[in-house]
Amino acid sequence: MTNDLMLLLPLIIVGVGAIALMLASAYKIINNTSAALGSALVFAVAFLVQLSFCLKGNAVLFSDTFNGILVANTFSKGAGLVILACGLFTSLSSQTYFKQNDFCSPEYYSLTVFAASGMLLLTMTQELISAFVALEIMSLAIYILVGYNRKNVVAAEAVLKYLMLGAFAGAFLTMGTAFVYGQTGTTQFAKIGQYIAANGFTQSPAIIGGAFFILVAFLFKAAAFPFHAWVIDVYDGASMPITGYMATGLKTAIFAVFANFLVADAQLHAGWITFLFYVSVLTMFAGNLIAIGQYSLKRMLAASGIVHSGYLLIALVAVSTEAFSGAVIAYYLAAYAAGTLGIFSALSYLSGKDEKRVTFDDFKGLAKVRPYSAAAISIFLLSMAGIPPTAGFMGKFYIITSAIDAGQVTLAVLGIISSVISMWYYLRLIINMYFYEAEESFADTVPSSLASACTFALAFCVFAISLYPLAI
Amino acid sequence: MFEHVLSFIIFLPIVAGLLLLATPANRTVARFTGTAISLAALVLSLDLYTKFQATGHLEFIENIPWVESLGINYSLGVDGISLFILMATSVLLPMVYFIFSTKEKGYYANLLLVQGAMTGAICATDMVLFYIFWEVMLLPVFFMLGLYGGEKRLPATLKITLYTIAGSLLMLAAIIYLGVSYHAQFGEWSFAMDKMANLNLEGRVAALAFFGFMIAFAIKIPLFPFHTWLPDAYTEAPTATTFVLSAVMAKIGVYGVVRFVLPVFDMEFARYAILLAYLGVIGMMYCGIAAIAQKDFKRMLAFSSASHMGIIALGVFCMNVQALTGSIYQIVAHATSTGVLFLFAGVLEQRTQTRSIADLGGIAAKAPVFALYFAIAMLASVGLPGTSGFIGEFMIILGAIKFNTMVGVLAGTTLIVGVCYMLWMFQRVFYENPTPQSEGFKDLSLVEGLTFLPVIVLIIAMGIFPNTFLKKITPSTELVFSQSEPAAVHTAAVTPVQVPGLNLEKN
Repeated sequence: MTNDLMLLLPLIIVGVGAIALMLASAYKIINNTSAALGSALVFAVAFLVQLSFCLKGNAVLFSDTFNGILVANTFSKGAGLVILACGLFTSLSSQTYFKQNDFCSPEYYSLTVFAASGMLLLTMTQELISAFVALEIMSLAIYILVGYNRKNVVAAEAVLKYLMLGAFAGAFLTMGTAFVYGQTGTTQFAKIGQYIAANGFTQSPAIIGGAFFILVAFLFKAAAFPFHAWVIDVYDGASMPITGYMATGLKTAIFAVFANFLVADAQLHAGWITFLFYVSVLTMFAGNLIAIGQYSLKRMLAASGIVHSGYLLIALVAVSTEAFSGAVIAYYLAAYAAGTLGIFSALSYLSGKDEKRVTFDDFKGLAKVRPYSAAAISIFLLSMAGIPPTAGFMGKFYIITSAIDAGQVTLAVLGIISSVISMWYYLRLIINMYFYEAEESFADTVPSSLASACTFALAFCVFAISLYPLAI
Repeated sequence: MFEHVLSFIIFLPIVAGLLLLATPANRTVARFTGTAISLAALVLSLDLYTKFQATGHLEFIENIPWVESLGINYSLGVDGISLFILMATSVLLPMVYFIFSTKEKGYYANLLLVQGAMTGAICATDMVLFYIFWEVMLLPVFFMLGLYGGEKRLPATLKITLYTIAGSLLMLAAIIYLGVSYHAQFGEWSFAMDKMANLNLEGRVAALAFFGFMIAFAIKIPLFPFHTWLPDAYTEAPTATTFVLSAVMAKIGVYGVVRFVLPVFDMEFARYAILLAYLGVIGMMYCGIAAIAQKDFKRMLAFSSASHMGIIALGVFCMNVQALTGSIYQIVAHATSTGVLFLFAGVLEQRTQTRSIADLGGIAAKAPVFALYFAIAMLASVGLPGTSGFIGEFMIILGAIKFNTMVGVLAGTTLIVGVCYMLWMFQRVFYENPTPQSEGFKDLSLVEGLTFLPVIVLIIAMGIFPNTFLKKITPSTELVFSQSEPAAVHTAAVTPVQVPGLNLEKN
């Protein structure tokens, strides 16, 4: 019992921290900066605790204490680690971001921590009801964060779109749960798997329909085709650090629960593999098409996030009950998170007041004025494009290896073609930063700040992660 | 230290380059560092060369496990084939720092980075490690071309980058396919190059993987019809970059074919060799004829370089020891002749501010030493007996005739085209009427003259004493064909691809 609760410690720390921050801001005993540092402290402590668990590497199932609702295996621990790191870097770069923007209040940081508690729970959940609860804890906090800038019309539009569509996704998840429960009498992934293994997947329309609804909900949150259209506007409307947080932490949580759901049941996975194959291909190419046409950097990054969801779906198609593919997904999420968070923390201090610099052209000649920032951004872009020796390359390498190993050669080749296409919009920013004369002095940006520290730390992470060998 | 000598040769330049970029060093420091580091790499390489045993197998092996779960290792080693490309890199690159000065420290830093990455690609014996260095060596070229290139540098940069990356990613898929096949056939993960020869590959996917490798290498070499990025990139790039591209990077493409395609895909290679050989010959002719028509001497040299890469590639596709040995020899010869000609072209451009052949004339009278050096490099490039170029081309043509008479005859005749454009250009630039641009042309300074001297001596030495060099190459090239012994057996059974309209020799 104590041992099991110990493994839940990061979640407890984050939950308690969120409540404490919320109370402290309600009684106005902290200001924005101390709230930022407080939330960073919560994330840092939880991260270190999680890291110590990861290094110990004891996978204990919670079957006794929590009735099989939660799990703490290597995969969920790795995903939790990524989420906590995302939270940490988001809090720190938010602090810098709000030096130039004035719509902050201490509750903002409390909400980022609340969102992280939902995400952590989501990575560990092995059951549909708790998955729904965790998803809603996370989503409610994120809805508020997206619309935090109340005076901004774009943010209002973003939050409305996200809330409406997200509520639909939540409804789909509950409906799917109801269908599956009606047929199998259980909401636990493992027991659903046992039921399907005994009775077959195609036997019951309730199972097919239920599984379909659940997949739709996950695909929606993961920004996969054809549920990707909201991403561009929502990411564009949210403030810079929150966009980064959604693109990394939220995506990590969703793919973790998605993988757990599929891995728990080989039959279910086999039943949907063709569907996921097409979804993955269409997600990559739709994302690429959208990204190529973008003028705003933030929208391009949103679209490139869709493409990366496509790569992660390749890994999901190739996922097997062996831990190997799970490790591949966790590794890719870490690599992708380092690159994306890095670029968003760089944009947090470079974009200026009211995010006035967000287009490709605004960053022309950045290398002449801020060489180190430009170098860091280039490292992140190269990582996202999958050029060695960055983490993004190793992540892509592992994904393609697992796909070919699973016999999905076509999917692997399509993934590679997609990454050739994606090269264009990543290189475009590097070309703008390096090969043009500076049009702006970027004088209003804070020269040394928490966000720039985050940026350089993440640039280091990109290389460090790439050297870290993937263990089966 | 000596067991890690390859790592030192690779990472000295890379670390120095990164440090230069990360610190606010000025350009004098950068140039000095570049010179010192590249000379240090040269000393280490010369030491390596003298200690090389010429067993034919890999020597100076380093092996550190990296991703153990997938059998990926940090493993390095050189044999007679890679040794010579490594030597060409180490010997030629220090020259650049003596000859050219620029305003930017980034230029020198990138040169160091590209040197390290190219050496890494040559020495890597693990496919994943090779791929990493292969991709990394493009990045400094991207920045050098985009930052310091000529007026139309942006389209040229994009063209070379997207072209090569598209090729490399196909190769990545093929590499992974080999690793997965090894896992499937032998029950353990490995990406080691030498183990891949044991693979038993057949079927459509194997053919696709073969083309995955071939297209990546064909783009890098470049083999006709994948050469279209070359004229723009070579012309727009700053001299040192063109030099690096033509003298070393193109060769790594050929090296890749010898390392990956020959031993692993012996069946496919035997089947498509005739087609590839014709592509090599067509490339020779096409680029040679294009070179005659050029008005810009740098562009002319670019086409000339592509034309010569055609014959080097042909040597590899002929599937016999003579031609392959000739190719490796010609790789060094081409690096010392055409590579150096690009440096001379850079000197011409720097002093006359023009690249147009028509604007120049009568330089020989103003600068006799420069004219002499240029003439020696040029004659080596066209394959005059007594120079390095002759030995390699002779061996390739010999092997080509053994392989297929028609290919050999066509390749042999095409060599004349090279003589045409080179001598014609030499006549117009160095002898005919002086023009205003070439009026105040200064001869090479003492430093410049001494810098080029070793290479000029090397060109002649390689032409007169080929055996000193050949005896280090031959054991490895012979091993390539003994390894793929099944290929020789299969060759008879494999029907070569029919080339419509070109199967005259079938009788």
